[in-house]
Amino acid sequence: MQKLLNKNISKALFSSVNIAPLVVFRIIFGALLLYGSIRFVAKGWVHELYVAPDFYFGYLGFEWVKPLPGSWMYLPFILMIIAALLIILGWKYRWSCSVYFLSFTYVELLDKSNYLNHYYFVSLMVFLMIWLPAHRKFSLDTYFRPGLRSESTTAWTINILKFQLAMVYIFAGIAKINSDWLMEAMPLKIWLQAHHNVPLLGEYLQKEWVAYVFSWAGCCYDLFIVFFLLYKSTRIWAYTFVIIFHLVTWLLFPIGVFPWVMIFSTLIFFNSDFHQTILNGFRRIMNSFSSIKRHQKPETSKMEGRLSPQRKAWITGLISIYVLLQIAVPLRHVFYPGHLFWNEEGFRFSWRVMLMHKEGYATFFVEDRSTGRMSEIDNSGYLTETQEDQMSTQPDMILQYANYIHEQYQGKTVTYRGQSFTFEDPAVRAQIYVSLNGRPSQLFVSKRHDLTAFTYDLKHRDWIEPFSN
Amino acid sequence: MKINKLAPTFLLLLTTALVIAACKKEDEEGDKSSFDKKALLTNLSENMILPAVNQYNEDVNTLLVDFQDFEQNTTAQQLEIVQESWKQAYLSWQTVKIFDFGPIRDIGMKGATATYPIDTSQVNDNVQSGSYNLASLSNVDAIGLSTVDYLLHRQGALDSLQNNAKVVDYTADVIGKLVDESNTITTEWSSYQSTFNNSTGTSSTSAFSKLINEYNRDFELAKTAKVGVPLGKQSLDVPLPNYVEARYGDLSFDLLRASLVALKKVYNGQSFETGNDGVGMDDYLVHLEENDLDNMIDSGFQEMIDKTDEFSMTLEDALENDTQRMNELYNMLQGQVVHIKTDMTSAFGVLITYQDNDGD
Repeated sequence: MQKLLNKNISKALFSSVNIAPLVVFRIIFGALLLYGSIRFVAKGWVHELYVAPDFYFGYLGFEWVKPLPGSWMYLPFILMIIAALLIILGWKYRWSCSVYFLSFTYVELLDKSNYLNHYYFVSLMVFLMIWLPAHRKFSLDTYFRPGLRSESTTAWTINILKFQLAMVYIFAGIAKINSDWLMEAMPLKIWLQAHHNVPLLGEYLQKEWVAYVFSWAGCCYDLFIVFFLLYKSTRIWAYTFVIIFHLVTWLLFPIGVFPWVMIFSTLIFFNSDFHQTILNGFRRIMNSFSSIKRHQKPETSKMEGRLSPQRKAWITGLISIYVLLQIAVPLRHVFYPGHLFWNEEGFRFSWRVMLMHKEGYATFFVEDRSTGRMSEIDNSGYLTETQEDQMSTQPDMILQYANYIHEQYQGKTVTYRGQSFTFEDPAVRAQIYVSLNGRPSQLFVSKRHDLTAFTYDLKHRDWIEPFSN
Repeated sequence: MKINKLAPTFLLLLTTALVIAACKKEDEEGDKSSFDKKALLTNLSENMILPAVNQYNEDVNTLLVDFQDFEQNTTAQQLEIVQESWKQAYLSWQTVKIFDFGPIRDIGMKGATATYPIDTSQVNDNVQSGSYNLASLSNVDAIGLSTVDYLLHRQGALDSLQNNAKVVDYTADVIGKLVDESNTITTEWSSYQSTFNNSTGTSSTSAFSKLINEYNRDFELAKTAKVGVPLGKQSLDVPLPNYVEARYGDLSFDLLRASLVALKKVYNGQSFETGNDGVGMDDYLVHLEENDLDNMIDSGFQEMIDKTDEFSMTLEDALENDTQRMNELYNMLQGQVVHIKTDMTSAFGVLITYQDNDGD
């Protein structure tokens, strides 16, 4: 049994397989990266999200990551656009992937107000791509260095991508197994009814049973789609579902490029014949390219033979670490007490996509300790609309913002009608009400806490008011 | 694995979902009628926004005519007529300013009409120099109905209007700017109306989203600018009488009341002229089975309006002499913000920003 397992694992990792799926993935994913980067710049978001704000909500441990001054913030995006082009062409491939990964991840680390699961997904995929030999066929790298060319690759290089996609879907599915989603059809009930003016579909979106069908179907889809994609006999049907599902989400929700990323990434589940056909298609289109390539004799792989047992052990070890991390991170929330959606401890990086509808109203107060007098803070003076919207429902951001206000007022003297006050280590308080998944709003943070007394760390935050259902 | 083997499983899951939906439905009273946001927008634009815009336009034009009469006949009596028409215009503005999107946003009218406190030295400088560009950013605190308030009601206003032609010219120019802008939006709104009625989507750029977001913003403005700031809520509890709206003409409580009444009427979808009930945000909430929330919001508005009526002095006096009641009023406003900005907005599924969003 042990032996059989070992044999299977070894096969999944080190058997020699056709490289075509990996090459097609490089080209398609590169094109998505290019589209995503250009779209971001074209929408004016570089300025809006990374130049205009006065304050940025950094990630714990990464608060030292700061935006470049002014228009220099366009630099990482220009790098991304160039790198994405080079990834498509397969030129200086590993360098290009590294540049894209570093630029993209740098930008994502600047401000968690802009966190999206699909950005995290892109970071992970590009990170993986650095280590994959996706440039060893149909690329400028092999054109300049024919010795690189290979018709085969070791199986892990493709399977790791399937694994990553499986994590996204399965954890997204597990996250939907909760009473709000299944028993109340929340938040879909709210989101769908708002679309009742959509042509054709519209009138049904207001019906309650439709929200239930969408909720259950969405949950089942996420949980099981990967398994149907893995089997040849169900694959084509499963992929039809992939297209329909993501197109529906694209039509109904402002979810950006995520649907396209998923629709195209899941092509990796198709077999090598399918990808070979695509490659042949590309070849026909790029005639000049093919004339050079055609006469190259396909090599047989020497890859498996080349891998020493030590090297195999290293690869197995590193992959195990990655796999364990990918499973552990989305599950870390079990170590926190209380309601996950309310406290949001262990919420990010866990593939909780389109899962809840949270709306908050946050009033912050800066208190002069010597007189006990308080002033309300005008949040719009410090935060953008997006930042304020995100901050008012997320405890870690509330704490970061409170500390920022403390910094702004520390040592500051204000004079009102002749009365002067100097803030010495002012207290910062907040009164915040939050509505979760359509419930009546309830107190989220009480004014009785001085938020500057708490440190921003990974410990459970007991200053969040308990959630009452 | 064959697809037809899986079919029963899927059918089972689908049935479960439908059974739950059916059970839920039994709990509810009666059958849900469908709701159409277009009906809400149509009612609002036809019976509220356009009549309010027209009323305001009529009022500022009357103000202009009355002021021109005053220029011919600078008597105390005629000044009173001008003051009265200023008052009417300022009160009608309380409805129009809710709709800070489309034509009104395009020309930046909300900021230009009633930004306060005004910069009196800037006003006096402009009057003295006689050369100014009222559209320039530096004059944003020296224009609008709030500046007209100062020019018509300040101490010795009649005297300076009778004896200083420069003051008269400046007043006429400020009123003229108000009239121009009002004429513009009156024309623009009649062509924007159909765009507005049909823009029912959920993106932040749809008219429905803008309406809800600007409605929230205007309510917050009433809370913060009309009450909170003068009361010292942003100044360590030191009241700031110079932040009282329309303090020279003592119109602050009336403006607050008019603003709350306007917000309440818009919420209930009432007609601007007759007050007759039409499709409003209240009906949308009831359709969403948020009857409790609807009752809270509606009665909340009434309580605040009643509270405003309790004061027997000007707002400026109340800051010092009726602080407790002012604080009660402020707390009511603060509570209402949570209901409309958090509960109502979340029930409608309206988006505040236009970033990509994956729902967390």
